[in-house]
Formats: sequence, structure tokens, C-alpha cells
Amino acid sequence: MLTSDAALIQAIASGDRQALAGLYRSLEKPVYRFILSRLNDPFEAHDILHDVFLEVWRVAGSFEGRSAVKTWVMGIAYRKVIDRLRRAGRMDMPDEMPDSIDDAVDTEACIAASQEAVHLQHCLDQLTGDHRSAVTLVFYEDMGYGEVAAVIGVPEGTVKTRVFHAKKLLLRCLEGRIGWRGART
Amino acid sequence: MTRDEAQALLPFHANGSLTGAEADAVAQALAEDPGLRQDLAALVALRQAMQDTPVQSPGEFGLARLMRAVEREAPAPRRFSLWQAVAAVAVIVALGQAIYIGSRPNGPAVTLAGDDSGPGLTVAFAPNATMQAISGLLTAQGLQVVDGPSALGLWRVTGDDLPAASVALAASPLVEDVEPGPGDGKD
Repeated sequence: MLTSDAALIQAIASGDRQALAGLYRSLEKPVYRFILSRLNDPFEAHDILHDVFLEVWRVAGSFEGRSAVKTWVMGIAYRKVIDRLRRAGRMDMPDEMPDSIDDAVDTEACIAASQEAVHLQHCLDQLTGDHRSAVTLVFYEDMGYGEVAAVIGVPEGTVKTRVFHAKKLLLRCLEGRIGWRGART
Repeated sequence: MTRDEAQALLPFHANGSLTGAEADAVAQALAEDPGLRQDLAALVALRQAMQDTPVQSPGEFGLARLMRAVEREAPAPRRFSLWQAVAAVAVIVALGQAIYIGSRPNGPAVTLAGDDSGPGLTVAFAPNATMQAISGLLTAQGLQVVDGPSALGLWRVTGDDLPAASVALAASPLVEDVEPGPGDGKD
């Protein structure tokens, strides 16, 4: 039985449908969550997820092993999401960032707020698409900056900057949601 | 390593992806800077909260559709046959007509719900299902069309007794798949 994603991709390239099912079960949730984080529409995200794995089936033979399979599949997902957003005219400004953000945040408030799913989702929704993509890959998928750069096709320095800004905005938003500024020590 | 450089790498320290000299340098910066340690605590909590958030992905429903799509492509990509294209167009046109008819006073058949945010089912109808039959099935189950078709031909429907309707749809030869839809409120 094939277990590693790399072995599954090799088998898929030779037309093994069970290997495709295995890879789907292995990566479906993270890929879907990544797509959903950008589109915020479950119905649309279902369609893109389907398209992603259909493309994996079609082009598995072109996988060269220069990145992890998950990174490669996430890259396919990212490109399909961007295509969909462009067609719909829903692209936001790249690296849109408010001019002034107070560096200091109330750590305790952020921690408390982040544990409330509704606050967390609200604050994630406030981020730009680029920021949300980066944060999703870093905190949901535990990717390094090199892997994130490979998925979204930007330099590693850009990834670090995006994550830095996104994290700052996220923590600031969470602090505001819980309203504990007075408790800062 | 400057404080700004350490700050930029903190998210990657929090998710455990840093290695080698960078990991060592960030660890040293953390040991010397209580402010960085506070930031790290917030990031660790944030990461944990995000990972604890459940996601309702398509799961086996999506896999079944994928396998059918692959089956249609095998052994080599091929085009839709003429009858499949005609059947698909007929279903879409007929559904549109039914929605129109259903919106008239005393009109029969399918009605279009105005709000797509509530509970629902995602339905894939069989390619050879006629509109009359689909209309009858949905009406009998008290279902309304909420959205669709998606690019895959999926429809979202809603109604008062979704569990019973789901069982009835699943048993019908007119339906290829039925699953709790996106937006059904479940995790």
C-alpha cells in the first residue's frame, strides 16, 4: 500500500485511481481550507478543490520532486483561486497595509480573543487576501517561508513581510475584539 | 540578528519550521527579550486556535465526484458526447423554466428560495433526469432551489425537513449525489 504523498503522485502519473483517492484523502482538508480562506465561499471552494485534484490527475507526470507534494498541490490551488478571483474582478491591492499600526499589543487580550472562534474568524476576514493566504499557510499548515514562497510564487522576503504585517493586524484586531486594553501590564 | 529580524521570523519559530542558524538566533533573541517572548506566546496561542478550528470539507462526497470525473476522462481525455450535452442543456433550461413557473401565483413545481445562508443540501441530478421528474421530486419533498448550478452542475436546495428529504433524494434514481450542503451549520 502506498503511503507517502510522493509515492502516490508517481502512481497517479501511471494512471492509478486509488492513488488519486489516497492523495485526495491525505490533502483534501488542508487544500480546501486554504482555498476557502481566500474565497470565503464554501460552494465555490468545493468547485476549485475538485478542479485542483482533477488537474493533479492530469499533470501528475510533470511533478519533478523539487518541492513537497503538498506544496506543489497548494500551488495549483493558489493559481486556480487567483484565476477565479481575476475573472470575477475580486483581486485586492497587493500588500495593502495601513500606514500606521501601533506596534504594542496586549498579549493577554490577543490570546484570550484568539480562543474565541468567532473573534478569530472576524479578524481573519479583515485581512487582505494576500495576508490571509500567508497566515493560513503558516499557522494552519505550519509551512516555512520557503514553502509559502513556492506556493504563492513570491520571494521569501515578501512572504516574511506579509506574514509580519498580517500577524500584526491580526493581533491588533483580536485585542480590539476582546476589549482588554486597560488590562495591559 | 536584530530585533526586527527576530520579529519577522517569530511566526516561523511558532510553527516549528525554522532550522539551523536561524532557529538558534531566534532562540537567543527570545532568551534576551521578554517582549519577544510575549509576542511568541500570542502567536503560539493564535496558531493553536487556528488549528483547532474545524473545517467542513467535501470529504467522501467530493471524492466520489472526482472519481466520476476521472472515469469520464479515462483512458484519455475525451469530449462530452452529443447526447450528454443535449441532456445537460435540457435539464438547465427546464430547471430555469420551473423556477419561473414556480414563482407565478398557483404555479407548480420548483420555487426559488431567497436566502442561501440557511441549512441546505447539495444535490447532483442524474444527467438523464427530466425536469418534470426533478420538479416532482423536489416538490414532493418540500424543497426549494437556493443556488446553482455550480461549474460542476451542483445545486443547493433547502426545505423544512432536510434529513427526511436527504433520504428520499438519495433513494431516487434521479439523483446522483446528495450531501449536507455548504452552509448547513454543521462543523
